[in-house]
Amino acid sequence: MARRKKKNVDEGEVEANLIPVMNVMFLLIPALLLAMEVARFAAINVSPPKFAAASEQKDDKKKEEKPLNLKVFIMSDGYRVSASGQQAGAEGGKAADSTKPTIPLAKPGADLKDFDRYDYAALEAKAKEFKRLYPKETVVTISAENDIPLQSIIGTMDALRGGECQLMNAVQGNEEVPEACLFWSPIVEAGAG
Amino acid sequence: MSDPNAHTAAQEAFLAKKKAKKAARRNNDIEEGNLNITSLMDVVSIIVVYLLKSYGTDPVVITPTAGQKVPMSRADAPIQDGVPVYVSQRSITFNAERIVQLDENGDVDPTQVQGQLINPLFDEMSIEAERSKQTAAAKGEEWEGTVILVGDQNLKFSTLVKVMYTAGKAEYSQYAFCVIQVNG
Repeated sequence: MARRKKKNVDEGEVEANLIPVMNVMFLLIPALLLAMEVARFAAINVSPPKFAAASEQKDDKKKEEKPLNLKVFIMSDGYRVSASGQQAGAEGGKAADSTKPTIPLAKPGADLKDFDRYDYAALEAKAKEFKRLYPKETVVTISAENDIPLQSIIGTMDALRGGECQLMNAVQGNEEVPEACLFWSPIVEAGAG
Repeated sequence: MSDPNAHTAAQEAFLAKKKAKKAARRNNDIEEGNLNITSLMDVVSIIVVYLLKSYGTDPVVITPTAGQKVPMSRADAPIQDGVPVYVSQRSITFNAERIVQLDENGDVDPTQVQGQLINPLFDEMSIEAERSKQTAAAKGEEWEGTVILVGDQNLKFSTLVKVMYTAGKAEYSQYAFCVIQVNG
């Protein structure tokens, strides 16, 4: 009987040509690096400014609860801080002391563009005082004169929130707002001086 | 006596054989060198996956306009999904378009403002709000009008209030200031 001769099949390894894939990968790396954030961005959530006839009902509710109603007005010569309609440090019998700010500048005479001109430490100390009296209060109304730069407003918000306040986990819903956070819910209001 | 011719023939044969061996050896040496790129491929793949992942986790990509200095803050809350409005010292940019030009003092041209409302910005934001409402409705989601204000460090409070008021009129009810996170 004739034996059928097996065909000698060449089963050599076939290597995939990876060079086109590598080319794409090398193009993707700079593209993604360019799209990435170089600086780490964060957000400060604020409530909108109140204008005429806005949310009067809410105000009525607040009156019943007797809130702290903390207001900080950023002026070119310092902070005017008031709570429950009474300016802190105002002259006797006056709701507001027009002659002096509650917290004067840390650097008197400094230019508006010098963002360290405000006494953030004194403001934070003041906020701590109010927080001790109203531990559940978190809202502060911030307003400023027209020329005050945004960086000074952000610095003021930082001081009122507290230096050790970490809101990351609370915002993500993982835990409650830490006790170190003072007034972390700012309302930005136009001309609330 | 030996034959000298036979000797030369043998010598020639030996030399020819030696030459052939040498040639064969030379041919063996010229093997094609294969570059092994598998390990390099692994490294590059890992880098690409890492970059894609870190790119994918950001809900909003913030790209400040040229010359804009974003304020610094100790705030650590992450940026939520929203529509960014870039307000530099010279212009207001929305949807990658320069909508309003500001003067050298950082104020909006009074002809473009009605009370606190910046008209060109309001028009653009209203269109965008309508569009995103429709998209949210198609997905069966509730629309949250969040605007991310990417302002300049020197942005004046009066301009900031105008932008916020305009956004509010265009039905954006939630605001966030974008800041660069600093430690301590």
